[in-house]
Amino acid sequence: MLDAFSRSVVSADASTSALSGADINTLKGFVAEGNRRLDAVNAIASNASCMVSDAVAGMICENQGLIQAGGNCYPNRRMAACLRDAEIILRYVTYALLAGDASVLDDRCLNGLKETYAALGVPTTSTVRAVQIMKAQAAAHIKDTPSEAFAGAKLRKMGAIVTEDRCASLVAEASSYFDRVIAALS
Amino acid sequence: MKSVVTTVIASADAAGRFPSSSDLESVQGSIQRASARLEAAEKLAANLDNVAKEAYDACIKKYPYLNNAGEANSNDTFKAKCARDIKHYMRLIQYSLIVGGTGPLDEWGIAGQREVYRALSLPTAPYVEALSYARNRGCAPRDMSAQALVEYNALLDYAINSLS
Repeated sequence: MLDAFSRSVVSADASTSALSGADINTLKGFVAEGNRRLDAVNAIASNASCMVSDAVAGMICENQGLIQAGGNCYPNRRMAACLRDAEIILRYVTYALLAGDASVLDDRCLNGLKETYAALGVPTTSTVRAVQIMKAQAAAHIKDTPSEAFAGAKLRKMGAIVTEDRCASLVAEASSYFDRVIAALS
Repeated sequence: MKSVVTTVIASADAAGRFPSSSDLESVQGSIQRASARLEAAEKLAANLDNVAKEAYDACIKKYPYLNNAGEANSNDTFKAKCARDIKHYMRLIQYSLIVGGTGPLDEWGIAGQREVYRALSLPTAPYVEALSYARNRGCAPRDMSAQALVEYNALLDYAINSLS
């Protein structure tokens, strides 16, 4: 498993050279924005169970066949497995966001996932849809702009000090990890 | 590669939980200390060739017998290889400064080091002398800030200990 620092070391070692000034400046940027990253990870981790249940519920709303007899979320036992898997995927995306590198997601979650789901007969399109919902949720939580129209009385803001650009780079980074999951599944 | 962040993630993963607030605090601690380490890495990278050259010269000065026929520093090829080895150590120290742990030194320097030097019948004392010279050569604030020098020296000590 690598993080943003060890990733740059591994690539410098490939050419047996010391890290250049440009590489070090990139890492300094990582350090300078470290607290933002931790806030983003905290925002996802603190809302994880809500995100997971909403994403799976949304996926089922759009495809009711899943919870009818013969569907992949019927009976409760399979619905529970689905919730568990969504949480696992979200957890590894969170780890990747904390590390600033996708290696933990690739090695420990995505490697062989597609084959496993194919063997178990899990429908790819539904899984991808749940991941897409989690991607949108994660972006909203990192930006800390939950939709008042949808949330209503349940509106919950993290209340962290939000920067001018609403952590656009971290939103993009988190989205890229979700896209990685989608790419690995399809 | 072991670092504070990967250790935190590995233990959270073993327990199957999301990163907790204490996990995030330990990562924050590591990030706060990172600026000194990155400064040391930056200064070292800018002068890596000179630092390695001075360290190499110092060990040959202390052990001139290495220049004798049949010894490890007796011809140009050997001399270049000796200088390269010292430079490798300095480069691994720079990597370790970046990562914030001894991972690169451990995995790419120290693992198998004893066996290699024994197989090639190389003495380790000159390496110790070269690294000790670098250890005592650094000076704050001339070369880098005091905190950066502490991080740099700690890694040099670690490398010296592995050889002695």
